Amino acid sequence: MVLELKNVTKNFGGISALTDVSFTINEGEIFGLIGPNGAGKTTMFNVITNMFLPTSGEINFLGEKISGTKPHKITDKGICRTFQNIRLFSQMTVLENVLVGRHCRSKSGVFSSVFRTKSQQSEEAMTREAATELLDLVGLSDYEDVIAENLAYGQQRRLEIARALASNPKLLLLDEPAAGMNETETENLFDLIKEVQKKGVTVLLIEHDMPFVMKLCDRITVLNFGKKLAEGTPEEIQNNKDVIEAYLGSEEDDDLDA
Amino acid sequence: MLGELLNPYHLQIVSFVLINIILGISIYITLSSGQLSLGNAGFMGIGAYTSALLTINFEVPIILGIILGALVAGIFGILIGIPALRLSGVYLAIATLGFGEVMRVIFVNWESVTQGAIGLSGVPHLGREVFKTLTAIGFDPEILGLKNNQFIYLIVVSILLLINIFIVWFFVRQNKSRVGRAFAAIKMDEKAAESMGIDITYYKVLSFTQGALLAGFAGALYAHVMAYISPADFAYHRAIEILIFSVFGGSEVIWGAIFGAAFMTIMPEALRFISEYRYMIYGAILILMMAFRPQGIIDVSLLQWFKKIIKFRKGTDHGTGIKKRH
Repeated sequence: MVLELKNVTKNFGGISALTDVSFTINEGEIFGLIGPNGAGKTTMFNVITNMFLPTSGEINFLGEKISGTKPHKITDKGICRTFQNIRLFSQMTVLENVLVGRHCRSKSGVFSSVFRTKSQQSEEAMTREAATELLDLVGLSDYEDVIAENLAYGQQRRLEIARALASNPKLLLLDEPAAGMNETETENLFDLIKEVQKKGVTVLLIEHDMPFVMKLCDRITVLNFGKKLAEGTPEEIQNNKDVIEAYLGSEEDDDLDA
Repeated sequence: MLGELLNPYHLQIVSFVLINIILGISIYITLSSGQLSLGNAGFMGIGAYTSALLTINFEVPIILGIILGALVAGIFGILIGIPALRLSGVYLAIATLGFGEVMRVIFVNWESVTQGAIGLSGVPHLGREVFKTLTAIGFDPEILGLKNNQFIYLIVVSILLLINIFIVWFFVRQNKSRVGRAFAAIKMDEKAAESMGIDITYYKVLSFTQGALLAGFAGALYAHVMAYISPADFAYHRAIEILIFSVFGGSEVIWGAIFGAAFMTIMPEALRFISEYRYMIYGAILILMMAFRPQGIIDVSLLQWFKKIIKFRKGTDHGTGIKKRH
């Protein structure tokens, strides 16, 4: 298994964002994390990447305990993410964004960069090559020199994926990748994620577009109010009574959908 | 002919311009990783006092004194840079400004070493020392048709120019590399940069230290060009002046700091004929800048426009047409 969460709890003051959540993700899977707004999905991502420390519980990545490791080291170990509210380096070009993503897979420092040593030059060439390939994969090779913030919304989302892939992750975390996309863009995204899976990358994604999630994911975990509600294949989830209730609300609490 | 062209007063102004360019770059470097430091006047003072005291009291050669001055400022940069990581924006600016004030107060009150407010005079002059060495091996500036003091100022300008070229070359290359990209990423979005595997702590302290080192270097050069330093040279008006270089010229690109430093040094001299009114013009220019071009004179799009013009010229010159970019 790639990722294992054991009884993860995260409290903010008195508020419990995640309570005792456990699940495991197997290698090569596309794993979905769904739930109503405020269910703790993004908090889960922040805890996995150690932007937040879990209050209690343990997270193992490839059999190694990673809770407490600094976020940049997590990326180095092979987990990389995208953001719900796109966080590209907006004043950089498309290519530069992907080059930055490659940071932890290269190592030239100040002096080798300034004096352009042989190893730095070959590293820089390899970095560029990898970046161009990734832009090709996400279909942005014609936009290399465009400033990132000038891209269309769907393109920005794809660029974020390319930037995350540049760090050669074993596990890719996608936070609502289809949000705000039209039908064609969503279809392209579907193909892209399948392509990423074929390259041997395990994918964990948060998504609200249910048809998309059900079609794409191998397994799904449902969160509600910070607790795990259900886990299983898309068919199992679609037929789960608790899940249907959480999404549609039972008769008594249909105003408490937050 | 050379002798008529070179006016020591002009040469002196050029050497101030070159020192101020280094100061402008020093604030640009810290800004390039998103940190606004107003402590560079303090680091400048550390460099200046270190080198001046070493050369006066221990007869250390000037070159070694300047290098040590820069290094000591750099070490202070690390010491201040690490706690400064907890601060950002205005809070960092105020804290570093406070650091500069602390340094000034130390220079004023540590009288047994720094001579207090009177300042240190008799700092070995860079030009004169080189001149002494050259005449000792039988060189005579008359060969170039220059008077001694013209030649001394010319030496200073030449040395400073070489140093400036090296520094600009160094940082232009650094900016285009993995390190420069890490700085820029941190400046644009710290959390995203961290998620992309960039060690924020390391790169922020690195850029802060580079800024401190450069400011110390500029300070040490200043001491040996002026031959006299006092705490007032490194007070808070200097910190603001350095900030203005970068804000006026443009803080996005290194050329902004260079242009800002050059313009802001030359303008008050060029406007000397209207005496007191020149500072009014200085203020008016700053207000107009903030109103109409808050990003500073030189920004990324201006540079790109400039590059296009050059490409266009080259294209028509050779009759090859313009290279199209997709």
